[in-house]
Amino acid sequence: MANKVNVLGVGMIKFAKPGASDDYNVMAAGAIREALNDAGVEYPEVQQAYAGYVYGDSTCGQRAVYEVGITGIPVFNVNNNCSTGSSALMLGAQAIAGGMAECVLVVGFEKMEKGALGSKFTDRTNPLDQHAGVMSKLQGFNQAPPAAQMFGGAGREYRWKHGTKKETFAKISVKARQHASNNPYALFSNVLSLDEVMNAPEVFDPLTRYQCCPPTCGAAAAILCTDAFAKKHGAVDPVYIAAQVMTTDYTSSFDEDSMIKMIGYDMAKQAAADLYEKAGIGAEDVDVVELHDCFTANELLTYEAIGLCPEGGAEKFIEDGDNTYGGKFVTNPSGGLLSKGHPLGATGLAQCTELVWQLRGTADKRQVEGAKIALQHNLGLGGACVMTMYRK
Amino acid sequence: MSKELRFDDKVAIVTGAGNGLGRSHALMLAARGAKVVVNDLGGGIAGEGQSSKAADIVVDEIKKAGGEAAANYDSVVDGDKIVQTAMDTYGRVDIVINNAGILRDTSFAKMSEADWDLIYQVHVKGSYKVTAAAWPHMREQKYGRIIMTASAAGIYGNFGQANYSMAKLGVTGFANTLAREGGGRNIFSNTIAPLAGSRLTETVLPEDLIKALKPEYVSPLVAWLCHQECEENGSLFEVGGGYFGKLRWERSEGKMYRVGRDITPDTIKAAWSQITDFSKSTHPSDINESMQPIMNNISKGESKGGNEFIDVDEALGYQFAPSTSSYDERDLALYALGVGAGDDPANDKDLQLVYEMHGTGFKALPSYAVIPAVNQIITMAKEGKTAPGLNFGIDRLLHGEQYTEVVRPLPPHAKLTHKSNVKSIYDKGKNALVTYETKSYDENDNLMMVNELTAVIRGAGGWGGERGPSEPKNVPPTGKPDVVTEQNIGANQALLYRLSGDWNPLHVDPGMAKAFGFEKPILHGLCTFGYATRHVINACFPDSDPRFFKSINVRFADSVYPGETLITEMWKDGDNRVVFQCKVKERDKVVISNAAIERYSEIPKPVAPKKKTESAQGGAAAPGSAEPISSDIFTAIGKFLEADPSVAGQIQTVFQFVLTGPDSVYTVDLKNGGGSVSAGETAKPECSLELSDSDFMDMCTGKADAQKLYFGGKLKISGNVMASQKLTFLSKLDPKLVLDAAKARAGSGGGAPVEAAPQSDEPNSADVFIAMRDYVEKNPDIVSQVGVVFQFKLTDPDSVWTLDAKNGKGSVDEGETQKPECTLELSDADFMGMTSGDLDAQKLYFGGKLKISGNVMASQKLTFLQKIDPEQAKEAVKKARAEKAAGGGTAKPAPTAKTVAASGPGLLEKLASFASANPGIVSEVAAKMQWNITGPDMRWAVDFSKGVGTAKEGTLDSADVTFTISDGDLAALTSGTESMEVLYQNGKLRIDGDLQVAHRLGFLKTLA
Repeated sequence: MANKVNVLGVGMIKFAKPGASDDYNVMAAGAIREALNDAGVEYPEVQQAYAGYVYGDSTCGQRAVYEVGITGIPVFNVNNNCSTGSSALMLGAQAIAGGMAECVLVVGFEKMEKGALGSKFTDRTNPLDQHAGVMSKLQGFNQAPPAAQMFGGAGREYRWKHGTKKETFAKISVKARQHASNNPYALFSNVLSLDEVMNAPEVFDPLTRYQCCPPTCGAAAAILCTDAFAKKHGAVDPVYIAAQVMTTDYTSSFDEDSMIKMIGYDMAKQAAADLYEKAGIGAEDVDVVELHDCFTANELLTYEAIGLCPEGGAEKFIEDGDNTYGGKFVTNPSGGLLSKGHPLGATGLAQCTELVWQLRGTADKRQVEGAKIALQHNLGLGGACVMTMYRK
Repeated sequence: MSKELRFDDKVAIVTGAGNGLGRSHALMLAARGAKVVVNDLGGGIAGEGQSSKAADIVVDEIKKAGGEAAANYDSVVDGDKIVQTAMDTYGRVDIVINNAGILRDTSFAKMSEADWDLIYQVHVKGSYKVTAAAWPHMREQKYGRIIMTASAAGIYGNFGQANYSMAKLGVTGFANTLAREGGGRNIFSNTIAPLAGSRLTETVLPEDLIKALKPEYVSPLVAWLCHQECEENGSLFEVGGGYFGKLRWERSEGKMYRVGRDITPDTIKAAWSQITDFSKSTHPSDINESMQPIMNNISKGESKGGNEFIDVDEALGYQFAPSTSSYDERDLALYALGVGAGDDPANDKDLQLVYEMHGTGFKALPSYAVIPAVNQIITMAKEGKTAPGLNFGIDRLLHGEQYTEVVRPLPPHAKLTHKSNVKSIYDKGKNALVTYETKSYDENDNLMMVNELTAVIRGAGGWGGERGPSEPKNVPPTGKPDVVTEQNIGANQALLYRLSGDWNPLHVDPGMAKAFGFEKPILHGLCTFGYATRHVINACFPDSDPRFFKSINVRFADSVYPGETLITEMWKDGDNRVVFQCKVKERDKVVISNAAIERYSEIPKPVAPKKKTESAQGGAAAPGSAEPISSDIFTAIGKFLEADPSVAGQIQTVFQFVLTGPDSVYTVDLKNGGGSVSAGETAKPECSLELSDSDFMDMCTGKADAQKLYFGGKLKISGNVMASQKLTFLSKLDPKLVLDAAKARAGSGGGAPVEAAPQSDEPNSADVFIAMRDYVEKNPDIVSQVGVVFQFKLTDPDSVWTLDAKNGKGSVDEGETQKPECTLELSDADFMGMTSGDLDAQKLYFGGKLKISGNVMASQKLTFLQKIDPEQAKEAVKKARAEKAAGGGTAKPAPTAKTVAASGPGLLEKLASFASANPGIVSEVAAKMQWNITGPDMRWAVDFSKGVGTAKEGTLDSADVTFTISDGDLAALTSGTESMEVLYQNGKLRIDGDLQVAHRLGFLKTLA
């Protein structure tokens, strides 16, 4: 029987634009200290550390945790594209669940460059070449940021299938900014009107600039522990991980000639199905969701993939306001990747941080009333989809 | 997860366990499953008497609580018997806690030998005996945990406990070595120094405090150290009253002398503060760490000696932290003035050193190279920064000798990084000589200059060290000097010179000068150094050109007063070396001796800036653009001269234009024949104009005034400055000539703009395709290997090529193909970069600069391009160019862009008639559609919202949906060769508004 995995402490720093942040080790140390404080744990009590980041040479994780303490503990560096943070979280949770440790630190951080994501190593097979191949076949390779072409292309495909209005995509950004306006950690806190989103420069039809998450620098961390450890630290009913699942690509990503499938729809769909089965809780029981809105198109597709609404029902779901306060779910109360920002390695842990605050009832103006069950969805192309169910 | 630490199946011996700490340890281990041998002699705290009672009581207590224990009543001096009890009763021993002890406290003065021996017997010998008996068993089973009990008294000393302190630190050392010997066999030994209320401490602590110091506060640490999970070994802990802490050694950085140094008690006293300074301490944890610095020191070899002022071992070779500085024309000019340049403003040789727009070019006086190096040494001295081992004040320092070398002529401005080290230290008996070497690098890390400043450190010699070279250098030959230069030094010269950075008040403040024993402020030695450099350059260098300068080496022999007359006597030693000395005329004193200046036989070339210069003839606008660029103006000048050959006769000058950003050079020859204009340099320009490309454009278009550019420093004119006045004819250029030139250039696809310019040998993209064709012709098997028809669409300038590596023998032709299988779209420049190997195709692809459509994977097969032999390619290109020149070019002309015309109006008519003929479909579509067609641009208002559908040119007020598509793609759509879905997905069809309408337009595919 696996041990229960408690999230004893969480912490993050305010996200910043590239060039305006501290170095990664300083950002990470800030988040780690927040999480340790929050957990009431001294760093020497941490038995293992899992550090997630995408851009940086090997062992940045050690360099980051050394800012807080040098205690000789195992430190693992985790890299899984945009789902790096939650991949690290999953490894840490496995160490607790499997009885390998009583208390682990998970930290995610990213110091990003300005501009769109690109490839750093050009002398070897690009890990996304199969994905790019699908895209090239369906829509060529254009002069927009590659990620925007991929998710935007999925948006086109969805739109073609369901006749969706462009405004529907844009409304997701409007909602994201509304939520972010209450989040002091978010990169963008000013609200946007539907017109402003629609009239912003087009990045890749149907996506305008405000429908693409910005490159961001930031860090977030969590302290995971066993019941006994939590008890020892006087924690009363800490938030815990009810279930967690990771999936990677299925053949449908490559052989169905579908942009929607290529960007990981089936990864998310299967991850959700497995998660609900494992947790014994269905989507209908969830109160609050942090999901991977790297582009509005992906948030829309994810509603359906993880069962927040029936397939083809996203437009109605959005129009009915079921993705915000007063509706069926609150999706991305933090502002999501679109508004809070998306420092690749930190995102999974920033989502975790937000959800823990929500379940503790300490999310201030963003608080989803009476939130008891929280759902996290973090997706990386390449690919990996990590989903986590939290309870209190 | 958090299970209690258990000791099940472990057998522990606790000595002195009848009371206090030992009892507490025994109870705790037993409660957690250990089988405990409870040893207690039953004696008093001073070691008197014996009984079995104390041990029995504890054993009973353990058993009552459900634990296992056996009593032993032997003295620890008979430790083997205690271990025997464990072996007899339980068959093994895992844990030994040496806890038994007694006290014989008394001041050392009163201490008897028996007091000393007894304490030793019980604590040291007892711990030894028990441990020694248990050791073979532990080794055998490869497991053991040993605890020694020490005391703060042993660690820190305590009045009345000399014997006890000896014993307590004795067992600590004992445990430390057991840790080393047993560690490999999982036998861990640790020592605790407990403070607990026990029978022993009753004698030294007040009762209420003893109560607070319960033994139960100590036992948890002991139990953890004895647990199998605990890996601590060889450590010492202080514990008690709720405190748990570890002790370690701390060692000061100390003072290190090289082997062979004469070290006296006085040396130690002098270094005492350093020896005892813990600000840079270390914590050696084993013998190796302890010895490491000593071994390092030994490996450095014999000492080179030193004294209180100079420690050669520490100082020699020391590298200072790099520093930076910069200078510009103003600094150079100010320096030159400071060393006497320009006291005759009519002297042109000096003028070029101080006038930044001098006709033959502004030149740096190369002795300036000493300034940045010396300034940074002065700055360090002011900040009190010195090399370790150089412990003299600046008052002892005299500038003795100076060597300064420049690698190439100093540029008019530079940013420098200086790296300095202590190069040599010599013991001259009374004084010492210290040479600081400074190497200075420019922003691209090119070495610019080397300085060696040799300082005489007065009274700092005499340690018996190396004396250094003693041969005098640069001794003037006997006989008269070849050249003598005499110059009066201005009375205010020191005031002027100091502005270059040496602010020492000795040179300006009469009071300060007196304090140093001079009648008035003296001139800086380096100021004289600058005078001498100028004198030698002006007298001995070709054309007095300072750019030949390589190095100068001088010894400062005496001081100079401002206002005196300096005589520089020079002897030429071959072509490239001048030996010289400087004297003060009034006092007939040599002030600079043993001096020489060397020069380069040719002026060293400036290093090329690292950034790639932009193309020579390009100008700012793209080659295909019809915006006039600088090359158009030169073309126009050429036309102008053709039209009016008399211009050249009036002007009679050869001009050279050096344009920057982008860089280009043009020669306008208005002297020979009817005049000519050509791209490139000329051997003998009479007047050279240097300015930016954009300023040139502004000047020629009347936006900027040449005079203003000149005085603003943006236009540099060298050579015959007056001749530049004759260029006013430029403003008479007919703008039409320029525009015609621009149009002609754009029309020719960016061909060579100036006829006189030689045809570029740089390969272009057409050449690459010709080479490709040549390769395909010579390697017909490529067709069976590749089997794909490629199309290359290049932009900027635009061209289309087809590589058919599928049909027949394969072919390469300019123009489109009907059925490309793989189309690559990229800029001409990127194509060139890719095929020359400078750019990576994958990088271009993922960077969005290379667009591949069709069979993407087929593009992988293009790697054969890299196999093309460059020599064969050149041949092919040459041949093709020759044929082209002869009018028989083989490259097919590019067909005019072949858009499969949708014949817009025709299609619109078809749409209109379809609408009127099919009211059913119209009512099914039921929408207002705006169609925006590009290339050629058309706007169609298609209204299917009412019963009768209409389609006409124009714009709808409120469309339900807007389709944007190119004419060609519309043709493909209406002929059924492309589906709407595919066109939409790949972005060729844009749908704004109600996309649902698109699903109802299936009829379109049959329309054409």
